[in-house]
Amino acid sequence: MFCEKAVELIRELHRMGDGQLPAFSEDSIRQVLEEMKALYEQNQSDVNEAKCEGKSELIPTIKFRHCCLLRNQRCVAAYLYDRLLRIRALRWEYGSVLPANIRFHMCAEELEWFNQYKKSLATFMRSLGGDEGLDITQDMKPPKSLYIEVRCLKDHGEFEIDDGTVILLKKNSQHFLPRWKCEQLIRQGVLEHVIS
Amino acid sequence: MDTQSYMPVPPGVGLEENFFSLDDILLSHQRLPCRTENAFPRLGFLEKSSETPDILEGTKMEMPLWLAKGLYERKRRVLSVDLPKMYREGWRTVFGADPNVVDLHKMGPYFYGLGSQLLHFDSPENPEIAQAILQTYIGRFRRTMDSSQNAYNEDTSALVERLDFLERTLFREGQSGLNSFQQWERGKAGHLTASSLVTNYRKRKINELQE
Amino acid sequence: MSDAGSDFSGEDGSQEDIMTPAELIAKLEETWLNERFSPELLENKSEMVECVMEQLMHMEENLQRVKKGDVKASIHRMEIDRIRFVLSSYLRSRLQKVEKFFPHVLEKEKSRSEGDPSFLSPEEFAFAKEYMANTETYLKAVALKHMPPNLQQVDMLKAVPEPCLDCFVFLRVKERQENILVEPETDDQREYVVDLDEGSQHLMRYRTIAPLVSSGAVQLI
Repeated sequence: MFCEKAVELIRELHRMGDGQLPAFSEDSIRQVLEEMKALYEQNQSDVNEAKCEGKSELIPTIKFRHCCLLRNQRCVAAYLYDRLLRIRALRWEYGSVLPANIRFHMCAEELEWFNQYKKSLATFMRSLGGDEGLDITQDMKPPKSLYIEVRCLKDHGEFEIDDGTVILLKKNSQHFLPRWKCEQLIRQGVLEHVIS
Repeated sequence: MDTQSYMPVPPGVGLEENFFSLDDILLSHQRLPCRTENAFPRLGFLEKSSETPDILEGTKMEMPLWLAKGLYERKRRVLSVDLPKMYREGWRTVFGADPNVVDLHKMGPYFYGLGSQLLHFDSPENPEIAQAILQTYIGRFRRTMDSSQNAYNEDTSALVERLDFLERTLFREGQSGLNSFQQWERGKAGHLTASSLVTNYRKRKINELQE
Repeated sequence: MSDAGSDFSGEDGSQEDIMTPAELIAKLEETWLNERFSPELLENKSEMVECVMEQLMHMEENLQRVKKGDVKASIHRMEIDRIRFVLSSYLRSRLQKVEKFFPHVLEKEKSRSEGDPSFLSPEEFAFAKEYMANTETYLKAVALKHMPPNLQQVDMLKAVPEPCLDCFVFLRVKERQENILVEPETDDQREYVVDLDEGSQHLMRYRTIAPLVSSGAVQLI
């Protein structure tokens, strides 16, 4: 049957239900586009035959192929759109700089989309007033305490807190830090929130 | 909640399909028993058993839902669609007797979704199908809800094994509500954790290294 | 019903000017909960957001003057964190809905008649337009332009789902309502009317009470 390759694309994403981004399936997309090209050309020639030679019995076949074309279009568009939703999620979870192994899974146009999204979001947040606007990618959970105990899971280097003090985030070191300063590092897996 | 950043396009409700929904695309890939009401010239190669260049009129073949929907017309019959067995009267009686005993995952896994989609094709049994899927859902709802609200910190695979896709979604919703409540009760709602995306990527990376 | 003197939820700006900080924060919390629990994007409250931002800056300034180690300082700091969380969460839910429904949000904005309040703040409007353009450019560049000529368009209004107004929401009644028409749930039910008493709580279809959310007569919880 037609459109098998297209639904493969969808299955591939669906298997990763948690929102991870698998490598961009350039090859499968190219194959779907080729199938579409072939279907379209066959339909063009059958439409001509139906018109010129009055072969109206070809109409169901033409319609059949057209359904397949629409299906392929839908699968590819849905594949790409769902990937955008995953890439969007990365901006919120990782911040604006993505690790290389994830960027590696994106095609050039996706990187461009991500950069544009990043820019739009930054413009939005800056426009919210105050000197620097408001970073709404922080404060994801309601605050319970000002300071929290954190353990460092990997070497991260120097880190500046509110009052200008600089501390060194070394693997396995433990610190008592202002909560809102650590939130993103915790989400990125650099720090771990320790609860006694 | 705020914390999950990947929010996929949800499936459509009832007769609707959402164009971008991965679930709906997989649902519409489900196959239906069909009969062609006229010939499809030059497409014979799609039918494995046929040796003619055409799909002949009156050929019985399975077609994915999306294709059946696209070809189906009320006025000009190109295609007629048969009911898959679990929507026929025999099975409807079974569901009616005790909806809890059937394995809807095996029968589905899109039992409700496909059942609703069948209503697109003018079957005389449509009202009964609609009633049957609604009553089955209602009849199983309580058990699905109870089990999702009572399984805390345990392996739930046996509980969801026989659930349809829609019921699994419901079950997961219930579980996430239960977990958030338990966290809150233990005063851990403020606990900051690494994003699940980040941890899962890390797991994958480790797996890749080990391979 | 409520006497004019204590009613600060009024829509016109002149009344809002005399809101105390405590009233402003209460208003923020109401607006936040409504936005979090409603399936669709509600009217923007840019003015309120601006006021809260100013309030936060003001509090930060005050905090600079308090001596380090003072107990008062940490209480103030905590209060600032709390308000900033609510404000961020509010703006975040709005932006999420803009992203989720962008073609519909923009369509609604286009068909809005002059003088009607806008659902989007100017910043959200700009964001939505960029999001739409960015997404369309992407789909076109990667795949659509390589497709047959009659398949190079995807109608975003049809492809991106609309908010589901038939979902159920919990609500608390702030001003008594009479004769609210409730649609039947099944074929053998008929529509009926209910009265909503002040202070009572209900679980209802969002569509039924959407106008009451925007008028402020009910609060989503």
